[in-house]
Amino acid sequence: MTGSDKTGLTVGQELPKLSHVPTATQLFRYSAVTWNPHRIHYEESYAATEGHPGLLAHSHLRAALALRCVTEGLPGWRLVATDYRLRRPATPGMTLVYGARVTAVDGDTAELEIFEEHPAGVHGLEGTATVRRADKEAS
Amino acid sequence: MSEAAPPAGTPLAEYYAHMRPRVGERHTRSLGVLDAVTIGRYALTIGATDPVHTDPAAARAAGYADVVAPPNLLAAIFEWGVGTPEDELKPDGTPVRNDDAGAKLRSMGAGEQMEIVADAVAGMEILEEEVLDAVVAKDTRGGPCVFVSTLHIFKTPDGAVLNRNRRTVVRRNPEGVA
Repeated sequence: MTGSDKTGLTVGQELPKLSHVPTATQLFRYSAVTWNPHRIHYEESYAATEGHPGLLAHSHLRAALALRCVTEGLPGWRLVATDYRLRRPATPGMTLVYGARVTAVDGDTAELEIFEEHPAGVHGLEGTATVRRADKEAS
Repeated sequence: MSEAAPPAGTPLAEYYAHMRPRVGERHTRSLGVLDAVTIGRYALTIGATDPVHTDPAAARAAGYADVVAPPNLLAAIFEWGVGTPEDELKPDGTPVRNDDAGAKLRSMGAGEQMEIVADAVAGMEILEEEVLDAVVAKDTRGGPCVFVSTLHIFKTPDGAVLNRNRRTVVRRNPEGVA
């Protein structure tokens, strides 16, 4: 892996951050569109019975936001893989900041670390994303 | 965090004993046709404003056959088709699947690995192959838990793979149980 090349990406380069505050309405709509009836996402009193600090943002919603940071920050590149772990729960009203930083560049492929930062400065989600220069192949 | 069987006599121990021997089980099912409204609603909900998700003309101009799904849509759909009747849902609201023994447990997504091989576009018929990959009991700071990893391979009827994702869910005893 090289530090920088004709791709224009440089190891250490940070993509523009994406700040997002999830709402209960967004969680409800995400549950609806994914047909996810898990009560921890839309029934706060039930979430409390499981010991959660509030409604829980869906893991896939949080991943989708983290991946938006990558796909919107790298037009002309295509996401080909991701690997992430959830470290802490996220609840409505929290300001979640999604970021990505280039960690390796090799020809037409680049690796990035991705994260979700919480107001306390800790990461709620950490992982990697692999992107490849898009060649406009039709699907 | 160390590998350790859940405390004997708890719902988590029962679940672990039920699931552990099933590692390697594989099922394939048809999920139906991915439609444009689902793609557009998903994009709207996650705030993805690229018109390739909502406007067929924009999608075609970008080289897609129709509107294209955001990268993790296939993995995120919890139930396909009409889903489970309410009176058949578990107390936490989730449907009973192949893990009846886990009905009383708390459940939360823990992470995922996803490889996107090809884009999923509106009108595609989708099949899912599911493999129970691993069932691992651990003792964590938050107490005993069982990590269940499942490999999901989404493909079209002709066998073309769209994406592979390995999802890990953490199961814990009900609140108040050690």
